[in-house]
Amino acid sequence: MIRDRTDRRVELLLGALASTILLLIAGMVIFVFLKGLPSFTHNGLAWFGGGGNVDEQLMNIFNSPANPDDYVYELRAWPLLYATALITFSAVVISTIFAVLSAIFIVEFAPLSIRRILEPVVRLLAAVPSVIYGLIGILVVVPWVHEHLISEERKESVAYVIQLDGTSILVGILILTIMICPIMIAIIVDALRSVPANWTQGAAALGVNRWRAMWTVSVRAARPAIVAAAVLASARALGEAIMLSMVAGSVGFAPNPLDGLTFFLEPARPLASTIVDNAEGLSVVPFGQTMYAFASILLVSSAFLSFGGWAARRSLSKYTLGAR
Amino acid sequence: MNSKKFSLAWLLLALAALVVVPAAQAKSTITISGSTSVAPLATLWAQKYVKTKAGKNVKFKILQGGSDVGISDVSRGRVTVGMSSRDPKPSDPGGIVFNRIAKDAICLATNPANGVSAFDQALVQNIFSGKVRSWDQVPGAKEKGTIDLFVRTPASGTQDAFDKIFMSPEKIFSGASQKASNGLVQQAIQRDKAGIGYVSLAFTKGTTVGSYKGVPCTLRNAKSGQYGGVRSFYFVTRGAASGPVKKWISWTRNNKAALKIAASEWVPFK
Repeated sequence: MIRDRTDRRVELLLGALASTILLLIAGMVIFVFLKGLPSFTHNGLAWFGGGGNVDEQLMNIFNSPANPDDYVYELRAWPLLYATALITFSAVVISTIFAVLSAIFIVEFAPLSIRRILEPVVRLLAAVPSVIYGLIGILVVVPWVHEHLISEERKESVAYVIQLDGTSILVGILILTIMICPIMIAIIVDALRSVPANWTQGAAALGVNRWRAMWTVSVRAARPAIVAAAVLASARALGEAIMLSMVAGSVGFAPNPLDGLTFFLEPARPLASTIVDNAEGLSVVPFGQTMYAFASILLVSSAFLSFGGWAARRSLSKYTLGAR
Repeated sequence: MNSKKFSLAWLLLALAALVVVPAAQAKSTITISGSTSVAPLATLWAQKYVKTKAGKNVKFKILQGGSDVGISDVSRGRVTVGMSSRDPKPSDPGGIVFNRIAKDAICLATNPANGVSAFDQALVQNIFSGKVRSWDQVPGAKEKGTIDLFVRTPASGTQDAFDKIFMSPEKIFSGASQKASNGLVQQAIQRDKAGIGYVSLAFTKGTTVGSYKGVPCTLRNAKSGQYGGVRSFYFVTRGAASGPVKKWISWTRNNKAALKIAASEWVPFK
């Protein structure tokens, strides 16, 4: 094999770039973990549990005395972890259903004129910054929910536990769903398009209608891409901070499913929003360390997410388009 | 005319200007970061100061970020002046000096449709600690039903001041909705008839401001010292202020024009 000198140089250069990025990421992960470690070691496994009021605990950490021996670390982060999981999971499940159905419509059923408008709009929506969704949420959706969905009796029934003012997991999940849906639609549309035409034509030749051909052949073949879209959307949902801090209430509270419908109207605050809301206090050493602990949980979750997505894609792709 | 030559001439001119201007006057730069409550005042001052004789050779760079950011920046020497809207704390880094430059009133605000006009300390503590959860139990309230509380995040200077001045020794109700800035609290109260919160005097537009201990929350009462809910604004320096920074701080405290700027929405140093 003849190796060109230029090729060799480019290879080295690109390799160096790629490994620099890897090193940077590894360095960042280690840095965040080391910074957050004191918060974990002082609380042990109870860190992940519930108990007490998480906002009060954060306040006490923030007001720690100056002496490093007297730093306060006590934290029970369950309400924040629960809120993160609840909001992310619900939004991703809902938007997966929506995205698959809309993608089928765009690829197979929409007339050309509609498709020509719909597709650019979906791609545009996928790029809208989250703070804009947050603004619409807090100026339009939150007041509407407060006026129309929260009755005085409902408010009174939980008045001494939590305040219902429209900022709620309902609005958070709703807007997060609207936010991540376009990304998923764009990815799934591309995947459905790349299913070889003769597969669906074969199905049609056997006498099934367009819907069945789409559902049993194309969607099946595109399953790895649907998983990939869901993973990407979860990552965005997991890291969403500003919008959720604006519309989900920003209270360290764990909504109680036993409250019935009130459950959806209760506020909560996920990890990413907690970090953003409290960024002012980072200079207080134990408080900063607690924030880094939150950040490392987010890092671990996104790592698990990518790994889970990869495993799911591997097992699914046995039956589908092969290497994907 | 050859357009290439023309643009080249312009480029050379611009370059020459770039070289000449900084050489003409060696400027000292004051960098500032910190509290979002103090920043508007500091910006107005800086704009005025650079037009005066003393400030002719001074350049300002003002960033925000919150009181604790300013304090940490200045203690590490990243900026020359940190802005703080909270009092010194035992956990603050050593070697820094808090220079008081003005004061600011914290007002209790409700929705105009509700219009509660008078609070005493017991009522404030009962409402914000969550002991009283219904407007039915608040004298003067037109609204009925549950109270919606809007408070600030733990790390905010306004929250710190409210805790100390109004709440101590009571604690704020844990179910209260936390907002990240004065403006968000103001917006929440404007849209929610059952809402109540506390904001800087500069953020009371569109809300009804209640009196505290019988004294209305106005600029005049805050200046005269009658209004109780007043906190201090500080410029934080590393060690005692010196050189251009010292000059500037003393200008903000003593110059007539500077005091006039401070008096527009805040309580001046004297």
